[in-house]
Amino acid sequence: MVDLAGILISSIAALATGLALQGFGLGGLSSEPQKTPYLGGSDPKVHAWQRYHVRYYSMTLLFIAFEMEMMFMYPWAVVFLEEGVKAMVEMGMFLAILSIGILYGWREGIFRWQ
Amino acid sequence: MSAAVPIIVLFYVLGVGAWLAAALDRAALKLMAGRPLAAATMAEPWRQGDLHLVRQRIWTERPDAMNWLLAPALYLILAAVGMSVVPFAPGFVVADLDAGIVLWGACEALTVVVVFLHGWSANAPLPLIGAYRYVAIGLSAMLLSMFVLIAAALPAESLAVSAIVESQASVWNVVRQPPGLLLFLMLGLSLTLRGPFDYADASDLAGGTSAEDSGPARAAWQAARLAMLVSVSAMTSAVFLGGYHGPWLPGPVWMLVKMAGVLAALVGATHMLARLPPARMLTLLWTVLLPLAFLVLALVGAEVLLWK
Amino acid sequence: MAVSGLARLATSAPAAIYPVVGKDGLAAVEDLSLHPAVSLQPTPRHASVLLVSGEIRRGDHPALRRLHDQLPHPRATLWWRTTPAPGFPQAENVEGDVARAVELVWRQLMTGERRSEDNLLPDEPPAAWRGKGDHGQGGEGMMGGKPYGRPMAMTDEDQRDGLALDAYTACFGPFLSVLPPGLLLELTLQGDVVQSAKVLRAPFAQAVADEPLRRVARLLRPLGLAGAAERFQRTAAAQTGDLKILDRALRWSGALHAIPPGLGEIAGEDIRASLRRWWEQAQGIASPASLGDGRLVDLLPGLEWSEAILVANSFEYDRLLRLCPPDREDDGDQEDCS
Repeated sequence: MVDLAGILISSIAALATGLALQGFGLGGLSSEPQKTPYLGGSDPKVHAWQRYHVRYYSMTLLFIAFEMEMMFMYPWAVVFLEEGVKAMVEMGMFLAILSIGILYGWREGIFRWQ
Repeated sequence: MSAAVPIIVLFYVLGVGAWLAAALDRAALKLMAGRPLAAATMAEPWRQGDLHLVRQRIWTERPDAMNWLLAPALYLILAAVGMSVVPFAPGFVVADLDAGIVLWGACEALTVVVVFLHGWSANAPLPLIGAYRYVAIGLSAMLLSMFVLIAAALPAESLAVSAIVESQASVWNVVRQPPGLLLFLMLGLSLTLRGPFDYADASDLAGGTSAEDSGPARAAWQAARLAMLVSVSAMTSAVFLGGYHGPWLPGPVWMLVKMAGVLAALVGATHMLARLPPARMLTLLWTVLLPLAFLVLALVGAEVLLWK
Repeated sequence: MAVSGLARLATSAPAAIYPVVGKDGLAAVEDLSLHPAVSLQPTPRHASVLLVSGEIRRGDHPALRRLHDQLPHPRATLWWRTTPAPGFPQAENVEGDVARAVELVWRQLMTGERRSEDNLLPDEPPAAWRGKGDHGQGGEGMMGGKPYGRPMAMTDEDQRDGLALDAYTACFGPFLSVLPPGLLLELTLQGDVVQSAKVLRAPFAQAVADEPLRRVARLLRPLGLAGAAERFQRTAAAQTGDLKILDRALRWSGALHAIPPGLGEIAGEDIRASLRRWWEQAQGIASPASLGDGRLVDLLPGLEWSEAILVANSFEYDRLLRLCPPDREDDGDQEDCS
């Protein structure tokens, strides 16, 4: 309980600091020409927000596989010594299977900017 | 009341550490650039920070104002919360969680979100490109770091940072798994948008996600980045460099000395190493560094089983 | 009162300058950047002084006004070795020592002795949007109209993976800090990959800016090596220095390996080879100059943003001018950009 309260208090203090720092500043409100996004002097034709072409979308699928695997690794790390070689072999198999995914993805070029 | 002391110390270390990191950064830049180093370098972060504070803040056309305002504050929160699980002396810690490194991992993941929001919120092209491409590298670097953290947790049989520090009483993790330390330092650079892992606030995007930041917005974002750098150095010292363990000096002093060393290493790497184009870095992360992390995990696992 | 104390402290920080570089102005600005009392900024948002150095084209004046207004207050404009553009009532012409002039203006700005410059453009949104649409936001339906005065990007073909998402077309330059000064490019991006490129205005000729050390420095900057780049510039400006330290900085940084092989290749020489050639020339090792010609706009499509920026910064200026013939047939687009 004390731990969680400590984290909560730290968070509030950090939030307050982050917002207070931004309370400074002179010069008043931004005028319309000031608001134009920076393009080296040119005027943008359209809004920057768009259906952005994310080039690494196939990598994110592989990432999710590994991130789920991470969930299993947390408890595994705690019982590793108790379980011994069995735990080692099991996780080795798991990682080996996922690593085949990396190799396959690499062959398919998912780490390049498609 | 005694529970408040670690919190006060935490913010004190964050603040002083951020100033030290900024001064080291200026010094490293000057050293690389061949400019004379002067004692005044130590005061430069103050001048620079004040300069930002007295200037006007510009809001772009139709920004996501709430996220733009919140991003630096959230970044600062993640730095503070991440560091709150790190002990500075036996039992002297804000939150001695059983799953400390899981909380740290959560802070890593949310950092990617916060940096993205910062780039997104200006509704401007250069910050937006920085935001999107950072996600690719930020996620991959984070994945790596979790493997090396798990490897560090194996000998401790616990996910608590204090237990990991205790497990290093005889031999530090940096001896057990030197590549782990290197991989974790890379994550530190990625979390703080620095040097070869700076894909968000990069020079090829004229400042990337901070290209539209002016005045106090810039001060807050830079301060948050520095605070995260301090947080990373605390975590690195605790997990790989034995935390407060060390001969002759008192524990907390050791901790601070190690943190300063990690800060200097990170800042040096920033100015010495070239940044790869993101696709090249992504390939490197997944095909070379991730297998290296697996190898570290396997070696540490074997070593722990044979040792006991 | 706390704020005025902050302002006093800020006066002692180096002057934050956004440089606008014109014809033959680059080397002078690079040399100015070595002065400890100034710091060049990559975007006008971080700067307080707009420094125009070298002659710029009449067609660039609207871009200059737009940049001027993008600086946060307090701000000032200085002309240096250039003909002042009309319509800058509060700007000042620098005669003599530019570093001193910049320092003076900076101190006056920070202490409030000098009044911050007003906007040059009218304080109006780019297009009338208020009151239109369901919520008065200017848009209609999902993507129609002009929400908040600007249209949204629309989908188009993609040349890499064929996924037709939004194509973002914009003019970059003529004074974008990561591009050679004067270069105005119309780029169509999908995500961060260039789909098509058009040169609307060529970069400015730079008479004395092509020493090999300066060329290396300009390529190190986009790679994130500001410190090393400055050391190369310093050596170029002083025309003397320890080349061994430079060699070490270049090699240890991994800059050569960071650049993808084959990037920006013309007549068998890619950027890596150019970087190596410049470095050899700087060391006095005779190395044949590349003579191959092509067009910058043919090199850029298909490149990711950081690769495209490397390519744009990887040519000597006389060669770059030959690579950048403006696309004359598209006068209509030029109107859009300026």
